[in-house]
Amino acid sequence: MCVEAAFDEARMLGHDSLGDEDLLLGILRADEGIAAEALSSLGVTLEGAREELEEMLSGALSSIGISLEEVRREAGDAFELRIPAYRRIPISPWAKKALVEARKEMRRIGDNYLGTEHVLLGILGNADGMAVRMLAGMGVSREVLEERLFELRGRAAG
Amino acid sequence: MDEKTRTRVGGPEDPLEGLEAVIALRRTLEALEAAQVENAFVAGWSWARIAEVLGVSKQAVHKKHARRIRETYPGDPPRRKGRGL
Repeated sequence: MCVEAAFDEARMLGHDSLGDEDLLLGILRADEGIAAEALSSLGVTLEGAREELEEMLSGALSSIGISLEEVRREAGDAFELRIPAYRRIPISPWAKKALVEARKEMRRIGDNYLGTEHVLLGILGNADGMAVRMLAGMGVSREVLEERLFELRGRAAG
Repeated sequence: MDEKTRTRVGGPEDPLEGLEAVIALRRTLEALEAAQVENAFVAGWSWARIAEVLGVSKQAVHKKHARRIRETYPGDPPRRKGRGL
């Protein structure tokens, strides 16, 4: 299930809550369904997304004069952002909202199952969200992704 | 100091950017604390001494870090000597 994978990804990146960007990573990691297909057809890979998030973290730190590279170097090998697997983390408000929106999208489209494409649409609904900005950083706009998603659905149905 | 100057001195002008720097710093701080506690532990420091320097109780530092470090070094931790817990 992509939410389980999302929790793993969140912990791996040191996120102390599950963010909307982690839901997107979860979809990529589970690598099934139309959402993953749409993302990969636009060149969005799990590796690429992780790297983009690391760059965003590094950029946020340098905006206040801190170099992630230097911190890494100074702290040595023991430094890692990863949070231990046993630690429970909450779902962030944005991720919660994305999941609520996913249900709404499902009903709006008239589907009777909740799939990764609904979750992806829920994520894309938040323009401020980390996921949307991460995708923008990778050169993928919401509009293009949504269009691709419905294209693939149409093909699967027809 | 007028409003504009304050914003500039206070940091990034975009609140989103400013708040995200806080999250980034918090994640980095947590990772740095974990790494330095681990380094001290491997160097043979007791929980009590680590806690003292961090300015928190021994229980607090043990609760936060012991399990992770125990899982990183199953069995005898490397180069551990001196006082125990």
